[in-house]
Amino acid sequence: MKLLTHNMLTSHVKGVTKGYPLLIKQATEVKVNEVDFNPQFVTRMIPKLEWSALVHAAEELGQRQDLPDELVPEYENNEEFLKKVHRVLLEVEVIEGCLRCPESGREFPISRGIPNMLLNEDEV
Amino acid sequence: VWRSTCYGFDTVRCTVRCWRAHTAGTSLLSRCPSSRCRCRCRRVERVPLILITGRSYRSEPEREVYLQRPEERGGERCNLHGGRHDTVRRLHAAAWTNMMEEAASQLERDHVHSVYDKIAPYFNDSRYKAWPKYLHINEEVFKLGCDVCRPLVDFAWSQGHEVQMCDGLHLPYRDGCFDAVLSIAVIHHLSTKERRIRAIKEMARTLQVGGRIMIYVWAMEQKRRRFEKQDIFVPWNPNPHSPSGFKAEHPAPRRRAAAQSVTEAIDNTDKHRKVRSTSSVADEEDLSGTTPQQSTQRLWFFSRSLDSVFDFGSLSISRSSSRDLSTLSPPTGENEGNKASRRGRGQRLIKQVSSFFYPPSAIGSEEDVFDSVPGLNKGQNDPGGNNNATTTTNDNNNGPANQTVSVSLAQECGSLALPDLVPFQEHLKPSGDEGRGGLQGEEQQQSTRSPQGSEGQAEGSCLRYYHVFREGELAELIENHVEELHVKHTYFDHANWCVVAEKVQVWRI
Repeated sequence: MKLLTHNMLTSHVKGVTKGYPLLIKQATEVKVNEVDFNPQFVTRMIPKLEWSALVHAAEELGQRQDLPDELVPEYENNEEFLKKVHRVLLEVEVIEGCLRCPESGREFPISRGIPNMLLNEDEV
Repeated sequence: VWRSTCYGFDTVRCTVRCWRAHTAGTSLLSRCPSSRCRCRCRRVERVPLILITGRSYRSEPEREVYLQRPEERGGERCNLHGGRHDTVRRLHAAAWTNMMEEAASQLERDHVHSVYDKIAPYFNDSRYKAWPKYLHINEEVFKLGCDVCRPLVDFAWSQGHEVQMCDGLHLPYRDGCFDAVLSIAVIHHLSTKERRIRAIKEMARTLQVGGRIMIYVWAMEQKRRRFEKQDIFVPWNPNPHSPSGFKAEHPAPRRRAAAQSVTEAIDNTDKHRKVRSTSSVADEEDLSGTTPQQSTQRLWFFSRSLDSVFDFGSLSISRSSSRDLSTLSPPTGENEGNKASRRGRGQRLIKQVSSFFYPPSAIGSEEDVFDSVPGLNKGQNDPGGNNNATTTTNDNNNGPANQTVSVSLAQECGSLALPDLVPFQEHLKPSGDEGRGGLQGEEQQQSTRSPQGSEGQAEGSCLRYYHVFREGELAELIENHVEELHVKHTYFDHANWCVVAEKVQVWRI
């Protein structure tokens, strides 16, 4: 599970209103891959992200490095910044771990790189 | 004394004075058991009404519900509640919905999820290549895929895609985060109209305003033949070229179906821009080939409709199916006796309802299922004598107290989105002895069918449930029930109906 994916995921347990963002816990296996850097891609993805959630997730994994708390203005031309974002979004991947709903505490396991977001009957 | 048991699908009530209905499962005497009714009447009437008490929904405590007579009988007002019939009806509606929801989940579990889990390993052959195609479309686009079937999701991941396991009725994505959603051969696996609508609404929820969704479903109108019914079971044929019956899949639909329940968003413009020579997705899958005209039209169509809309952004892939993980096993002893028996019965009822969905035999005619008249079986709750000789004949059905559900519905629930599968026929109304005789006849009929049913179930374990769509059905579904989506295009594409719709802002006053 890449952090870009994580940015889109939310808990949908019944009754939960604030199921986003999911907390990444017990990340026992985290990989950092090499992915081709595409500045336009990153530039266009940034507006779609919840920046604070991304930073928080990166921090949980210890991969934040020097990612700023707030978005840098005029990031489109800031290649260094884009590269940092690229790394956090696409190169960091959680292979084993779990995602915790911030409100209910329900944990969604991540195994073999795939988060299992299926709910049980009573949570639906 | 004539005794019978109310199973929750019909009820017996005092016709003289109190009209009081009885809770499911209680043994009913021919005289009104209500303490409030002083009439001590001997006339009790079996009424085709729905009464579901017990585990209707969690927020409501279990309680008796007072019923009104069906309209056709004159619709007398309830003596106990005066004019509060709407409340009564809504309660029933919700309870009924809940029950059918469980039946629908069960059906999907048996005939979609488990089948795909079984056949997933076989998908990694040449036929399956069409599927990754959806995900490999455009490198500029970030795609997310999801599915209920673990093996398929694993495979997708091994190909380098970001995928999740989830339920299409509850997508784990935040609102409005996708620019496009693609649902290919997914919706048709949902067993009720209501669930199909929910799945579409759920996908629409994750769409940004202005974003588009494309839905592909199996068409009832196929090239060579029409499916006779809209709700069918299709055996999975591992050999695409073997001459199986029509109901066994054609290679084309199968591949698409195999591609399955994976819905995904494709930026077709880019795809076609980059690789003009390849035929469109459908083309490749259709072994019978396609006319150049068709493919050009499709290409043109795609590029025209999606060109200006697809910005790049993340695309969503989802498969809708309900994943009801809880088993419907009877409750443990921790429940209090009354509740337990009721719940157990409720579950048996569900099994009964679900069993109507199962074809009598693997490749048998599904017509039987749809033409069957559910017999009315008066089982027994207490070991005491019973007027029926039917309990023995229905042994092969579930549970010791075999209860055939009479699913005839009162008009009260007519407005609900009921599963298409279940044939709603008025059950024969027994009135006293004559009824009993007639009923026994029915029960015999039912019992002869049930052995086939259980056999069919075993043999047909690789039967997949489909609800195939008529022309215009999908578009109509969206237009009438999903106000946040506006249908832009619909077309027929090699045994599939396709609808492209756009998410619109809905203003509420």
